[in-house]
Amino acid sequence: MIGAYAAGATASLLAPRSARTARALGHSGLCVGALAGVALAIRCTAGGASGTTLRVELPSLFPFAHLSLVLDGLGAFFLLVVSIVAVAAAVYGPAYLRAHGTGSPAVEVLGINLFVGSMALVLCAGDALTFLLAWEGMTLASYTLVVSEGGEADAHAGLVYIVMAHAGTALLMVVFLSLASHAGSFDFAAIRAAATALSGPERSVLFFLALAGLGAKAGVVPLHVWLPLAHPAAPSHVSALMSGVMLKVALYGVLRLGLDLLAPAAGPLPPSWGWTVLVLGSTSAVIGVLYALQQHDLKRLLAFHSVENVGIILMGIGMAMLLARRGGAADALAALSLAAALLHTLNHAAFKGLLFLGAGSVLSATHLRNMEQLGGLGRRMPWTAWLFLTGAVAISALPPLNGFVSEWMTFQALVLGGGQLRGGAGLAAVVAASALALTGGLAAACFVKAFGVTFLGRPRSARAAEAVEVAPSMRAAMILLAAVCVVVGVVPGYVMSLLDAPVVRLLGGAGPSALVTVRGPLVLSALGAAGAGTALSMTAAAALFAALALLVWGICAWPRAAARRLAPTWTCGMTPQSRFDYTATAFAKPLRFIFAALYRPRREVEKETGPTPYVLRRLRWEGDVVDLAETELYQRLQAGVMRTARAVRSRSTGRIHGYIAYVLITLLLTLLAFGRG
Amino acid sequence: MSPELATRLIDALGALLLFTMILILAAGQLYRAIYAVAAQSVLIALAGAVLGATTHNLDLWIVAGITLLVKAIALPWLLLRVIRRVGIRREIEPVVPITATLAIAGGIVVLAFHLSSSLGAVRQAITGNALPVGIALTLMGVLVMMSRREALTQMVGLFASENGIFFTAMAVSQGMPLIIEIGVVLDVILGALVMGVMVLRVRSSVDADIAELDRLRG
Repeated sequence: MIGAYAAGATASLLAPRSARTARALGHSGLCVGALAGVALAIRCTAGGASGTTLRVELPSLFPFAHLSLVLDGLGAFFLLVVSIVAVAAAVYGPAYLRAHGTGSPAVEVLGINLFVGSMALVLCAGDALTFLLAWEGMTLASYTLVVSEGGEADAHAGLVYIVMAHAGTALLMVVFLSLASHAGSFDFAAIRAAATALSGPERSVLFFLALAGLGAKAGVVPLHVWLPLAHPAAPSHVSALMSGVMLKVALYGVLRLGLDLLAPAAGPLPPSWGWTVLVLGSTSAVIGVLYALQQHDLKRLLAFHSVENVGIILMGIGMAMLLARRGGAADALAALSLAAALLHTLNHAAFKGLLFLGAGSVLSATHLRNMEQLGGLGRRMPWTAWLFLTGAVAISALPPLNGFVSEWMTFQALVLGGGQLRGGAGLAAVVAASALALTGGLAAACFVKAFGVTFLGRPRSARAAEAVEVAPSMRAAMILLAAVCVVVGVVPGYVMSLLDAPVVRLLGGAGPSALVTVRGPLVLSALGAAGAGTALSMTAAAALFAALALLVWGICAWPRAAARRLAPTWTCGMTPQSRFDYTATAFAKPLRFIFAALYRPRREVEKETGPTPYVLRRLRWEGDVVDLAETELYQRLQAGVMRTARAVRSRSTGRIHGYIAYVLITLLLTLLAFGRG
Repeated sequence: MSPELATRLIDALGALLLFTMILILAAGQLYRAIYAVAAQSVLIALAGAVLGATTHNLDLWIVAGITLLVKAIALPWLLLRVIRRVGIRREIEPVVPITATLAIAGGIVVLAFHLSSSLGAVRQAITGNALPVGIALTLMGVLVMMSRREALTQMVGLFASENGIFFTAMAVSQGMPLIIEIGVVLDVILGALVMGVMVLRVRSSVDADIAELDRLRG
């Protein structure tokens, strides 16, 4: 697998000779690598509930530590997720870059192979050093991809991204180095053994440091500001990888550290961990979808939805952390909650990948990202439209697709888990559940807007009117991901066995497939044999939907007595124009009013009237919303840093005597402070 | 040599060292400051020899010899040569007025004695009062570097500081290991060479001074 990525990366050397060959070879290397990843992951997760653990020792690069690769159930599941999206991206990439690529093929091919390869290495890392090295490789490779298309805005996005990512990496290094110094070795097995000897507060401090570091990478509010900048800047199939997969690698880190390496030897985890994760998750979910609603750039909108979905996954993880190892029904619910989070990881990778590829298809056909200039693409690009619609239905958590399954499971885990926790804690869990419900509703509203404005109505610009359907390879990549969405949505019971290995690896006890599919693989039940939970058959729901659709189609197609007549819509005598359609801004207006406290909308209206106020010469409207975290938190932070820097600068005269004087004064003060003994 | 005699000798040398330091600080002419620091280095070498004779430590003799050769003879000669070559501006131009510098120096001496009274634990029987003198010399060396404009005076300050560190080390642990002393002396030689070359070159190309380096600031 690694070999194939390396081969793909070497293909970048061909770039100066032929961009086309380099792209084709590079992406086929990527594809082969990802397929090998899928095979490896399935081999590892299919080994029953315990899973198979592979171990490979790497030749020692450093005198003080040896590197090793270990793939266990948890890593294998994430590797599967990474590899599926990577296959789709590899199929999609060459045609997309031919149509829309503006960067250098060498950078693109090298970057994407290194990027996916190092993500796979992070998941396989058997020691802290390999983890950190691969983590850094992932950051740097994705950075080059973000800035690969050139342009001022991309450079700024890249800067914000790399600053945030490195701040996170720094925190992770602190965590891993202090763990390694306790253990006397970088090896995860040694760290796991040594971590049991840590005191409670030490353990919690390390966990929260790691959570902050990983959260910066996962795009958790308020560390998400880089995400809506960086993800849209990259080429679309890379956006799909970054959004669909890279965030998941950070979540893998949360699971690995929180539930595996740092977890106490016995007994439940500290409740503060679970609550923090749950609250962060709920906040990210709601804030993410609210900001997504106000975006009119298709890819930026999708990037904000990633914040939302990471939030949903974190809610599942948080609930699992709260309930884990409490014994009895709580254990089963913890397994359900974790399974929901993991399933949503897979689902989000599939539908977000699909949506980003869809947005990429729109982009490559029209070279436009602003929805206000699109419209009417459904008729010109039917494949893309239908596939995008599939992704939109899935992300909006509507049955019968996969988003619904995992959100339903998360929902059940939150509500039933709230019952287990009792009292105020239980109430809080139910509040989180209602936040999840709100998120689902808002996401649906958002995608009605995104789909409707982009694909329905009339084209709003000449480019949108001239769009043509994209290349077959790009369609094939989207169909692959859409198929994952449909399969997981219609027969989720069969997918559950994939989740056994990671859940058992982290929580012990019974695997989720035994709990969830207790009434057969076609019916999901939330609490297994305990029977308290509700049950649901996605397959039956899908059949129902299919029957309903057939019925509607039948009624429409039924021959009628009167002949049908096609006529233009009556528009009070005016000619229909694209300006009559709902715009994205207008569609989101009601919500902008409701959540005005959060959005702080700004609007500017300029009117120019003729001789009477009833004749309007010119009307200009401008409005936007601010990201509260960006203005309130980061701009203040930045202003503070700049103030300090200026203050220091005015003191530093550049005169050598001044500096020596500072040395002397420091020496004297130190002597005075510590010399008294 | 008996320990009592050595203690008295070192106390006397310490007083002389402080005196030379005041000479350096008060010097109005560059060559006087250089003579003063050469005399100070001779005194340091003497102190090292006295301690070496008392404790029968061969390393101290070697260090004393090196100090005499390098800091008392070779480097002052080099600095004087640079002055002759450059040939202008023999007056010291203080950044801080000389009287003010002397007042600060007095304060530093008082502070050093005050502080070292609480550091009894690290003092040695033979070199009783060397510790505050060493600290005061070190700090006053930095003071010289801070308060004078010319590159060469800064060099003088560095020598004085280095002498102070040597004296402190003697007071605390009968001198540092030989290898470290040799390393420090090498550092000082290098510093002097760099400064000397820089002054010569800078003078010959542009008429600039250390104090004008701030024009390089970004």
